[in-house]
Amino acid sequence: MIEIKKYICIGCPVGCPLQLEHEKDRIREVTGNECNRGAKYARQEFTDPRRSISTTVQISGALRQRLPVKVSGAIHKDQILEAARKIHELKVMAPVEIGQVLFKDFLGEKGIDVVACRSMKRIAEAMTACRTKKHRRSKAGKPE
Amino acid sequence: MLGRVEKKYGVVVVGGGPAGMGAALGARDCGEEKVLILDREPEAGGILLQCIHSGFGMHYFREELTGPEYAERFLQKVIDHDIDVLPGSYVSGVAVDSGGSKKVRIMSESHGLITVETKSVVLAMGCRERTRGAVRIPGTRPSGILTAGLAQKFVNLKGYLPGKRIAILGSGDIGLIMARRLTLEGCRVEGVFELMPYSNGLTRNVVQCLEDFDIPLHLSTTVAYVHGRDRIEKITVAPVNPDLKPDMSRAWDVPCDTLLISVGLIPENELTQNLGIGLDVVTGGPLVSSTLETSMPGMFACGNVLHVHDLVDYVTREAMLAGRFAGEWSKGVRRPKDNIRLVPGDNVRYCVPHTLSPEREHTIHLRCKAAMKPCKIRVGSLMEKKLRFVFPAEMIMFKIKPDLLDKFHGDTLRIDILPLEKGERVD
Repeated sequence: MIEIKKYICIGCPVGCPLQLEHEKDRIREVTGNECNRGAKYARQEFTDPRRSISTTVQISGALRQRLPVKVSGAIHKDQILEAARKIHELKVMAPVEIGQVLFKDFLGEKGIDVVACRSMKRIAEAMTACRTKKHRRSKAGKPE
Repeated sequence: MLGRVEKKYGVVVVGGGPAGMGAALGARDCGEEKVLILDREPEAGGILLQCIHSGFGMHYFREELTGPEYAERFLQKVIDHDIDVLPGSYVSGVAVDSGGSKKVRIMSESHGLITVETKSVVLAMGCRERTRGAVRIPGTRPSGILTAGLAQKFVNLKGYLPGKRIAILGSGDIGLIMARRLTLEGCRVEGVFELMPYSNGLTRNVVQCLEDFDIPLHLSTTVAYVHGRDRIEKITVAPVNPDLKPDMSRAWDVPCDTLLISVGLIPENELTQNLGIGLDVVTGGPLVSSTLETSMPGMFACGNVLHVHDLVDYVTREAMLAGRFAGEWSKGVRRPKDNIRLVPGDNVRYCVPHTLSPEREHTIHLRCKAAMKPCKIRVGSLMEKKLRFVFPAEMIMFKIKPDLLDKFHGDTLRIDILPLEKGERVD
């Protein structure tokens, strides 16, 4: 049976509406694209949609309370939420260097690590003590 | 050096974001040795530090970086070039004496009230977000209503979550990015509501920040009322008629504890205005010559304080240029005044710079009023350039060669974006 999947191309601001005709796993045709990028994108999205992900983790001993991190390679689209949850369990201590691997072969996939997106220096204990105590993740948004 | 400040400089840069760092490096490149960057935050880097998503640096570094990575690479360059950086410092004013030398008044966390003398200044204060007040949403005034960028700062830098059930007004890129960001942090995003019939963000962000997480995007819909006494409890949203007025007969309620506003950016020009520098009413930034010099001699501007850019890479390029001219100025180079005025014509909202000189090549930045495809840009009778498309959300850039301007004898050059005529095709 021939089925059609619809995508919007993200290659440029035109955003061509793409239609991908397929028979189970076999791609028959991509239509609606004004340039080659559209066809390539639809094929990629159909066979193996991947996303890069970045988030933050808790850091202590630094000027900021959160350290930005990213996953070094694109992961499968369906794994995004699971990945984010796993990364959030990480806790790191300053100092951290940019590019430092915080979690190797994350998700069991070789070469896909969680890395720090910036360096953070260690600052004096006295300065962080009051910050970390008071500034736990707040429960804001709960109407009293 | 980080934290060092002396009495005299050649170039002082106000703002330590991508524009400020780019300008400082540009000034150093042209041989100016005494350069100072001032930033009001505890560390330089500007808005990049909270933009933890990737998508930066594709043009400049030829690789996709996150905001903090882009900032750190630049900060490292700044430090390697022996540029002084003073974070935690706020510029309260600039005085100019009859000789053209400028005295910058600074309130600094580490040095107190100080005055620094300089020959030229680069304004690189960036922009800020339009708030609820700017779009006038009726209803109560509870807590829990904040701009998307502020929420981004809370989540990514401070580690606070603004709420658990989020509604977003406006489909600007920051709003879209925050929809994904808060979903990853475990919040529920109820929907994004956009007044216009199209999204204001990149298609890429609509797909990867909303569709990937099944977050609904309601086009031609706006927030018509805010409910809640102390904390926001729900909003009433309504589709809008073609006149953009909400149709209350089709309205519905959306429960939420947080409303994020992502409805555009305004260049932050209080300092500029206090100095009496001429502003462009459309961009909200200063009027600049082709050397990115404002109406005050020796005072330059670049980045989002000049006009809001789409990509940080473009900010960097513009800033380096402004820095180079600021450095030249401080070394005593005076270029001949521009003699061609650039004016926006059909379907052109604005163009920057505002004047040109035939002595060198120029990159013109402009934005269109309405989407058009295909089309052509016409610059007076000098040149025509065909384009596959133009969109208001995407800045258009093109170069004008000096030999073209040499042939031009008028004083006003008009730029139009026109539909293609019959028989014309885009290659």
